[in-house]
Amino acid sequence: MSSADAAERLFTMTLDESGIIRLVWNRGTAIKQRDARAALNAANELCSAGPRPLLVDMATTASVDRPARAVFGEAFKPSRIAMLGNSAVDRVIVNFILGINKPIKPIRFFTDEAAALAWLKAGSDGG
Amino acid sequence: MAADVDDPRLAQIVNVLVQLAGGDLSGRLKPSAARDTVDAVMTGFNLLAEELQEIYREMELRVVERTAELVKAQDALRRLALNDQLTGLANRTLFGDRLRQATDLAERGGLPPAVVVLDLDEFKAINDTLGHAAGDDTLIEVARRLILAVRKSDTVARLGGDEFAILIPDATADDALRISQRVLTTLQEPVNLGDHTGWAGASVGLRFGERGQSGDMLLRDADTAMYAAKAMGRGNIQIYQPAMHSAVQDRLQLASDLATAIPAGELTLHYQPVVNLDTRAIVGAEALVRWLHPTRGLIMPSQFISVAEDSGLVAEMGRWVTEAAISQLAEWRDVLPERFQVHVAISSIALRRRGLDEFVADVLHRHHLEPNRLVLEILETGLTTGEVTSMETLVDLRRSGVHIEVADFGIGYSSISYLRGLPLDGVKVNRSLIADIETDERQRRFVGAIFQLIDSVGLRAIVEGVESDEQADQLRHLGYRFAQGPLFGQPMAVAAMTARLCTQGLGASNRAVGHPESGHRQQIVGGPH
Repeated sequence: MSSADAAERLFTMTLDESGIIRLVWNRGTAIKQRDARAALNAANELCSAGPRPLLVDMATTASVDRPARAVFGEAFKPSRIAMLGNSAVDRVIVNFILGINKPIKPIRFFTDEAAALAWLKAGSDGG
Repeated sequence: MAADVDDPRLAQIVNVLVQLAGGDLSGRLKPSAARDTVDAVMTGFNLLAEELQEIYREMELRVVERTAELVKAQDALRRLALNDQLTGLANRTLFGDRLRQATDLAERGGLPPAVVVLDLDEFKAINDTLGHAAGDDTLIEVARRLILAVRKSDTVARLGGDEFAILIPDATADDALRISQRVLTTLQEPVNLGDHTGWAGASVGLRFGERGQSGDMLLRDADTAMYAAKAMGRGNIQIYQPAMHSAVQDRLQLASDLATAIPAGELTLHYQPVVNLDTRAIVGAEALVRWLHPTRGLIMPSQFISVAEDSGLVAEMGRWVTEAAISQLAEWRDVLPERFQVHVAISSIALRRRGLDEFVADVLHRHHLEPNRLVLEILETGLTTGEVTSMETLVDLRRSGVHIEVADFGIGYSSISYLRGLPLDGVKVNRSLIADIETDERQRRFVGAIFQLIDSVGLRAIVEGVESDEQADQLRHLGYRFAQGPLFGQPMAVAAMTARLCTQGLGASNRAVGHPESGHRQQIVGGPH
């Protein structure tokens, strides 16, 4: 388990018992590149034994600037990433991340956590 | 989710859209905390504006980069057009431009510019001996030294080949002289060419500026002064004087005439006997070239050998001399004394050129002559540069049976122990050493010691310039066996020499006097190209 240092990190990261990494951004965070990279690095560390799926809770995220969005176009270790939001705003942001940066592994937007977890598990089961 | 048309966020969207339409891409919307559909539109709007701004920024950056590349390419093209590719120096065009600027400056009250033109003295030799790559390295090194020798405000140009020019704008006579002297000095230093060392050397012409004089004229005059420096024996500076023009014109005319002299049959050989001091019998003859110019009459080698060297004709002339001397030797075959040898002086330029040994062997073979009938004379100074090609050629020539002699021994710097290491058969002692031996006891002992040294290393000694019976007797007493000089005959035409040989063959007196003509030693035999 990796927990965010409030002074430096704007997120909390945990590894749940089912092997899914959970990333929760603090409320109202405007995500910059260094934050995105810190989050992805933390997730990469949790994948040192092998790729694991990543669930990103980005509901209440204020914004993700362009350089931060570009980080998702870089190489990362998690096997797939589910972006969980709850608004049309989140959907727009995620689709900008996906459309413009062409991630190398599957990233999908969900508004329903159960569906997100099912998709992540399906991936880790080889689906 | 239906949007309320009175929603103030819509007005905000309209305002920022107007801002965007005006070309300002920095405008952003502030979505509300509701995160509803309108906020999603605003967020999307912001993201699109951000992408657009980024694309614009990248495009502008690319335009800046491309523009810089274009400027660089234009600069490279300009350099290509205005700079010498090998050395990076200004070329003739750029030099001409700067020269015009400098003369214009003088018209507005500045000092007129001085112009220096210099030509490397030994470039042809380096190129011929060590190859074009070494030649190029030499030019690059010369360019580097010239840049270091001038002021920042001066322009150094390569006009072509091994000719360089320096523009000294706003120059005092002292400035111009000081720079010329620095140039001369720096080019006298050896040039490191990998395994070899070369000496470029330069003849320098300087034209002081004169208000009202065009750049072209200054350059032409500096060029004339450079030719005068060449004619003065190279490795010196000559300051332009109007009288130089006619001298240079004369020299250029001579070079032009010389180019046709060989095919026109205007060159001829005279022969000076080499005798045995005991019997006064002719044992050989030195072949000396003469030019029978159709309008100027007989021209001595001192007047045209340097012209031949400068114009590159020295090699062709050398081949002609070798061929003619050997051919004459073959014609004399029936009247020649046993072991008669013909002596031909060869230039250090010829020695450095590959193929001299094959050329000589071929000519001897064609005329059915033994190689030991030929003695090639080389200058003492031509050997001291320690060049590999020269030494290999000498070794090969001597191995083939041709005799090799050092000429003018005693006025250079080589020691007898140095000569001992060379592939030599003999030594010609310079005439200056024997001038006073009839009266000067110390000089006589000195000349005797020289003989002992030459003899002790197994070389044959021939003394040049013997003028009197007293000198001949003294030399004989000192041990010398062979000599040439006015006493035994001046250089003479073929008919006279043939008569001498026939007379000797009939057993008549060997004492004879040729017609009075000074014997200048030329060194002109060139190898085949």
